[in-house]
This record gives sequence, C-alpha cells and structure tokens, in this order.
Amino acid sequence: MASLDQKSPNVLLQSLCCRITGKSEADVAHQFQYAVRVIGSNYAPTIERDEFLVSEKIKKEFVRQRREADAALFSELHRKLQSQGVLKNRWSILYLLLSLSEDPAKPPTGYVSCPSLSQALPRDAHSTPYYCARPQSLPLNYPDRTQSAQSSGSMGSSGISSLGVYAMNGPTATPPIDNSRTQVVGDSLRQQLGSRLAWNLSAVPPSVPTSTSKGLPNSMTRSVPRSRRDCDANSCVEISEASLVRDILYVFQGIDGKCVKMSNPENCYKIDAKIAVSKSLRDTVSRLAELGWLHNKVRKYTDQRSLDRAFGLVGQHMSIVYLLYMQLQVEDDQGVNLGVDSNLTLRRLLVWTYDPKTRLKTLAALVDHCQGRKGGELASAVHAYGKTGDPYMRALVQHILSLVSHPILNFLYRWIYDGELEDMYHEFFVASDPTVKTDRLWHDKYTLRKSMIPSFITRDQARKVLLIGKSINFLHQVCQDRTPPGKMIAASKSADSPKDAAELFTDLEGAFQGKIDAAYFETSKYLLDVLNKNYLLLEHMKAMRRYLLLGQGDFIRHLMDLLKPELVRPATTLYQHNLTGILETAVRATNAQFDSPEILKRLDVRLLEVSPGDTGWDVFSLDYHVEGPIATVFTRECMSHYLRVFNFLWRAKRMEYILTDIWKGQMCNAKLLKRMPELSGVLHQCHVLASEMVHFIHQMQYYITFEVLECSWDELWNKVQQAQDLDHIIAAHEVFLDTIITRCLLDANSRPLLNQLRAIFDQIIEFQNAQEAMYRAALEELQLRLQFEERKAQREAEGEWGVTASEEEVENKRIRDFQETVPKLCTQLQILTHFYQGAVQQFLVLLTTSADESLQFLSFRLDFNEHYKAREPRLRLSLGSTRGRRSLHT
Amino acid sequence: MASVAPNLSAVRETMDVLLEISRLLNSGLDMESLSICVRLCEQGINPEALSSVIKELRKASDSLKTSENVGS
Repeated sequence: MASLDQKSPNVLLQSLCCRITGKSEADVAHQFQYAVRVIGSNYAPTIERDEFLVSEKIKKEFVRQRREADAALFSELHRKLQSQGVLKNRWSILYLLLSLSEDPAKPPTGYVSCPSLSQALPRDAHSTPYYCARPQSLPLNYPDRTQSAQSSGSMGSSGISSLGVYAMNGPTATPPIDNSRTQVVGDSLRQQLGSRLAWNLSAVPPSVPTSTSKGLPNSMTRSVPRSRRDCDANSCVEISEASLVRDILYVFQGIDGKCVKMSNPENCYKIDAKIAVSKSLRDTVSRLAELGWLHNKVRKYTDQRSLDRAFGLVGQHMSIVYLLYMQLQVEDDQGVNLGVDSNLTLRRLLVWTYDPKTRLKTLAALVDHCQGRKGGELASAVHAYGKTGDPYMRALVQHILSLVSHPILNFLYRWIYDGELEDMYHEFFVASDPTVKTDRLWHDKYTLRKSMIPSFITRDQARKVLLIGKSINFLHQVCQDRTPPGKMIAASKSADSPKDAAELFTDLEGAFQGKIDAAYFETSKYLLDVLNKNYLLLEHMKAMRRYLLLGQGDFIRHLMDLLKPELVRPATTLYQHNLTGILETAVRATNAQFDSPEILKRLDVRLLEVSPGDTGWDVFSLDYHVEGPIATVFTRECMSHYLRVFNFLWRAKRMEYILTDIWKGQMCNAKLLKRMPELSGVLHQCHVLASEMVHFIHQMQYYITFEVLECSWDELWNKVQQAQDLDHIIAAHEVFLDTIITRCLLDANSRPLLNQLRAIFDQIIEFQNAQEAMYRAALEELQLRLQFEERKAQREAEGEWGVTASEEEVENKRIRDFQETVPKLCTQLQILTHFYQGAVQQFLVLLTTSADESLQFLSFRLDFNEHYKAREPRLRLSLGSTRGRRSLHT
Repeated sequence: MASVAPNLSAVRETMDVLLEISRLLNSGLDMESLSICVRLCEQGINPEALSSVIKELRKASDSLKTSENVGS
C-alpha cells in the first residue's frame, strides 16, 4: 500500500513510467521525457471539471456495454467515494479511469468493425497527406480531441469551420522522438478508433493537394501509391462503406463526394453507376443523399435572396441549416465518441438523419412555397405553412415566421410612431406615392398595398395602421405641426428582437391589437384636436351651412333685396366688385357681422360662366374659400357640390321672393282695382294662380329646408362629433353632400324631375312678368280714368261742362279698348295657368314614382287636397299600385 | 488541510473503492500505479494529459515487447 506522502510530481511520474513499462528507471528516460513534456504542455484541462458528468458518462458506458449490474455497482462505489471525502479531485481520477478504460491497448471486447472497415483504414489513413503532414506540427492534440468531444455545447460556429477543428487524434510523434517511433505511430493508427479516424479524414475537403510533405516516414510513402491506386480504380471496385459514409457526409454539405455525385438531369444525388455497390447500399445512400439535395435547395434560395435587404432572415435560414447540420455532426461525433465499437455505418446515418431530414424537408417545402415572394407576401406564405397539426413543424415554422416578420414589424413601428416609410423593395403594405403633392396628401399619397398584407394582420388593422401613419405625416406636413404627441412616444417602441416579433404576431388578440389601437386613438385624437383648435374645422363647416346653404336667413334676404336691381340686368354688364360691395353691405347690416372675421373673409362673390341671354340671376353665386388642412375635408369636388346646391337653393329662394312680390302687389292693388269691375275676373284668376304657386313653392321650400337640409345636417353633426379620426369626418361629410344632392334633385337620376321643376319655375317667372304687365296696364288705365274723373270733377267745380262729348268719346273708346284687352289678358292667364298646372302635374307624377321616400311624401303635401289628382288620371292610381308598377319597371 | 493521520482507514477505504472502480472500468491499473495516479491527480495534474501519457507508455511497452518477441 503506497503511502500518500507528498512526492513531487516528477518523481511520481517517473515511478509511474517504471511501473507501467516494467523497466528500470534508466531505460525509461525517453518515455519520461515525453511524459514530462506532455504533462507540462497540457496543464490546464480543457473539459469541464464536472464530476457528475464524468460519472454519468461512465454509467452510460456500462449501459452501452450491457453491464447494468456494473453500472449499479459503480454508482454504489461512487457514492461511497463521495461520502468519504478523502479525495479532493474526484472528477480528475474518475476521468482518468474512464479515459483509460477506453484504451484499445487492452483488447476491448466490443472492438469489431466490419472487416472491410479495418482493412480500409490503413489505406484511408495513408492516403491523406494532411495527416501525414501532421507529425511536424503539434506534439499532442488532445485539446482538440476533447474539444470535439464536447462540441455539443458549442453550436455557434458554422458547420464547416467546426469540421476544420477536427484534428488528428491519437498521439502523434513529436520531433524529438526518433524514427523508431514512426512505426509505432503507424501501428497505433491501425489500432486506433477506426471509425473516428475515418471521420476525421473525411472532414478534410478533397481539394487538399495530394502532394505529400517532406519527411514522410518510409512506411507511409510505401503505402501511399498503393492506396491511391485502389481508391481511384473505376470498375468493380469494392467501395468500402466508410468511403461511402465519407461521401455522404460531403453530400450533406452539398459538395459532390467521390462516388456520390450530383446528376443534374435528374436533379438528385446518385452513386456513380460505374461503381459496383450493392442495391441496398445504393438505396440507403440515395435516401441519405436526399438530405444533401434538400440542403442545396435551401442554400440556393437563401443565396439568391441574400441580396435583398429585408432578408436578414437569410442569415437566419442559413444558421438554421447549419444548426441542423451541427446537430448532425455532434450526433455523429457523440456516437463515435461513445465507444470503440461504434462504427459509422450508413444505417446509423439513416437513423440519425431522420429528424434533421424532416426539418430540412419542411424548410425545402417552405422554400418552394416562398419562391418569388417578398415582404408581406412571404410572411403570409410562411404563416400559411404554420397551420399544421404537427407541433414540431409548427414550432419550426413559427420560428421562421418570427424571423421573417421581424423586418416587417420594424417597418410597422417606424410607420406608426414616426410616420416614416423607407421601403426600397416595396415590401411593406403601406405604399407611398411620391408624386402626390401636399394638398392631396390625405387622400392620395398613401395607399394600402393589398398583396403585401401578411395574412396574420387583418384588414381592419391594416387600415388603422395606414391611418395612423397618414395622420402623422399629415400633421407634419400639412398642419406644420411637429410636436410629437406625448403619449405616443411613451408607448413602447421595442421591437428590436425577433422574439418580440414572434410574440406579437402570435398573440394577435392581445398586445399587437392593443398597440395598434392605442396608437390609433392617440394619433387621431390629436389630429382632430389640432384641426379643430388651430384650423377651426367645425367652425368652417357651420359657416358653409350658413352661407352656402342659405342657413343665415336674414343675411340672404337682405342680400337678395340689395341684389335685385343688379341682377335683373344682363349678365354681361355685371361687375364683380360691385357685387362684392353689395355683399359687404349685406354682411354689415345683418347678424352676419357678428361672425368671426376668419370666416367672413372667406366669403366672396363668384360669377359663373355667362351664356348668352343670361340675366344676373343666372350667373350669381356665393363662394367660400378654403385652404390648407381644411381643404382636405372640403375638397374641390365638395366645393363644386356646394356651389351646385347653392345655385338650386338660390333659385328656389328667388321664386319665393318673386311670389312674395306678386302677393304684395296683389294685396296692394286689389283695393285699387276694385273700381274696374271688368278686371275682376282676371284678377280673380291671378289670385288663384298665385296662391297655387305660393302653395307649391312653400311646400318645396319646406321640403328643402327641413327634410333635406336640416336632417342631413343633424346627421352630419352627430357623426362629426363622434368621429374618431379624420377619415370618419371626411366620409360623413361626403355622405351629407351626397344626400343633399340627391334630395335636391341635382344628381343624374333626378334629371327629369329637375327639368320639370325648372319648367315650373319658369312658369312662375312668366306669371310674374304677365302679372306685372297686367298691373301696369291696369294701373295705368286706372290712373287715366281717375285723371278723367278728376278733370271732370274739377271742371264741374269750375262750372263748365264736365266732359266734352269728344273727350267722353275718347274716354269711352279707351275704356272699351281696355276692356277688350281684358279677355286677352284672361286667355293669357288661362294659358299660363294651364301650363303651370300641367307642369305641376307632371312633376307630381314623377314624384310619386320616384324611389326616394321623402319625395313621395312631398307629392302628398303638394297635392294634399287632391286638387291635381282630380285632373290627372295618372295620379289617381294609388301609391301602392304605382309602387308595384315601379318595381316591375325597375 | 484536514488532519491526515486519523483518516488512514478512510484513505485505505478510498483506495479500495478506487481500485474497485478501476477494475470495473478495466483500466488496467494496478494498485501501485493507481495510487501514483491518485497522488498526481490530487496535485492537480491534468487527467487528460496523464491518461494520454499512460496510454502512450503502454503502447511503447507493448511495441517493445512485440519487437523483442519478433526479434528473439
């Protein structure tokens, strides 16, 4: 029993050498030197000092060798060891024992490889000059060896470089060691872990120059030509499984192996037909080669796409492939490390590559599916692939999806929070049109690129996203407002990692929607605030209503009063500045003067285009100037609509005005003209016609003012108050205008109605003219008669004859003439009446058959006492039948 | 450093255990070599290096033996 006294390591080492080699101390000088060198150079261990790991390894080894009882025994012993606590470095000794137990110098029980393998080994060993060059270099490569043994921990480096790490294992000769050892080296190789060596050798790319280095031991040079000859033989060569394995491993990386090459016409890897290999081996090789094919495919795709900026995921793709590959390597390596008797057969490869192969298959299928797509489309494609029941594949696709959507998410966040869009390859689903200028920014500049919307973003979300960015840009450019809404910045902008992207996109109901909604609300609210406070959007809307839609009654009335003498003149004689002056007067005289100057300064007169024969009435129009952000809501089309409506309303108002005048005239003159009984019939007719017209116009005005304008305005106002963003306001406003136009008979469908109405209005004007003429004549006649009577009375007062016979004769003649004109007037009026009533009836017919309900109700009101119905057979049909008929027609 | 003397029996036990383990693992170390190795490891020698050394020594001795056999 040796005593544990503290001897120096050197002494110990020397005694160890003596012990093992069984020689005296003098003879072991070489070995001792070597030992010292080795120990000295590798002082720091390269593996982890984990006792647990080592013991696990040992147990695994036992299990692998089917010595479970021994494994249990070892556990027992290990526990005892631990409880005793004598040793400080337990792991050290355990590791030592473990590594010694692998020593093939002891004839291992399981060391049997297929004969071909062991035969093949020396050939392979010597055929690689890379190995032969090694003796010149490092003395010992244990660190490399153990490093590769532990490479399961290191997955970061790329696959190919890690292969390069695979250095020679086994002790190689160090320079000082004399040539007698080279034989040993060769022999030791022969006895070394065969498959491991083949593995290492296979790691060497075939492109290594085949020239041998200098200083080659003789034994090796001798065997080199022989091996070369063997491997290159073409026909009927017994290809060893090891070389096939080697080739397969090359194929996994996409490189052609010696025997397994890529045959392009069939686009698959095949064993060279000239080489005689058994059918089963061929099949196995084909199956394994598929992995290489898949790898090629994915690699090609990612290489193609590596230029696109948005494909940072390319690197990810590649790393995925390499990841799989590394796993493969590690598995191989671990399989190799585990024991002497493990050999890397094709069958083992098959089993090991099964998992990576399914993964690569998924990737390749994904690659196929994604060909030619980019940006959001790509994300959609990948997402579509994720809808599978297989959790493994789903996880993989999810991972890729998160990587792919990462740049999209970046785009999104930049857009939402900054309003910036930098999209060189048109991959984001918001498109910006650079040709659009600022005034059309809101409507035209930004659109949704529908094809690029990923399938996991709903339409509504995409719309909101577009709106948010648009609002920000609008604020910046049109409103000149660069203050960032405070809360928007506070909202988190962290989308910096693909993991975030994955979380966001997979958790659709939650965070993503929440983020978008929050940003949307904030931005829109801010925009609306700015528009209302700084630009008085709603004020302008109300002003439009007051002026262009004749809401401010007193002002309009006064204006009309003032304009009447001007507008009866032909249109060509009108001057704008005159009219503007009149406008100003009207403003100052009415309540309109209390409006804010901001609004009043936008009010203006506009003269429409003059056609020949126009009076001022036809060309006059008010105008309201808009600019800047307001113009976004009140666009040119909107303004033109407003003007059309104004025109219509102005005309109707004018009719009302005319009729008022007529009525005034009638009232005034009725008493006067009582003296002329012959006119009473005519006058009566006039009155009747006038009241019909008045009724009609009243109903029309009622309809326009209350049914059309007020109701629509109320709706608009409600919507505007509740609007959440500018798009809502614009939409509500457009609806408002559309409704008004339709109901005011200004749209294309109501053309006949409008024409009819115009006809009625014309009749009214004619009537006014006729009546005026008649009154003039009548009044003149009256005047003359009165004069006559006066003169008569005067003369009688003076004592003369009242009238001379001739005067009386003249007078009577005149009266008779006058009375003869009366029937003419009568007929004229009758014709007028007839036309008017015909027009109204036509109008009513059209109304009852119109689609709009309010127009139908208008027809009720117009014909409340069925006055027209009596005369017009078509009106006698009940509404139900007409509706039925209409539906038949439509 | 804990007291060495009273632990002599423990030491012996430990060595027994280690020998047993060594035998299980078929490491080919006899008691003396094992004790030397233990001492070396306790002093902090890299076990990997040590193991390689031992293997090398074994091979050397084997080869010398075979060459001796062949030669003789």
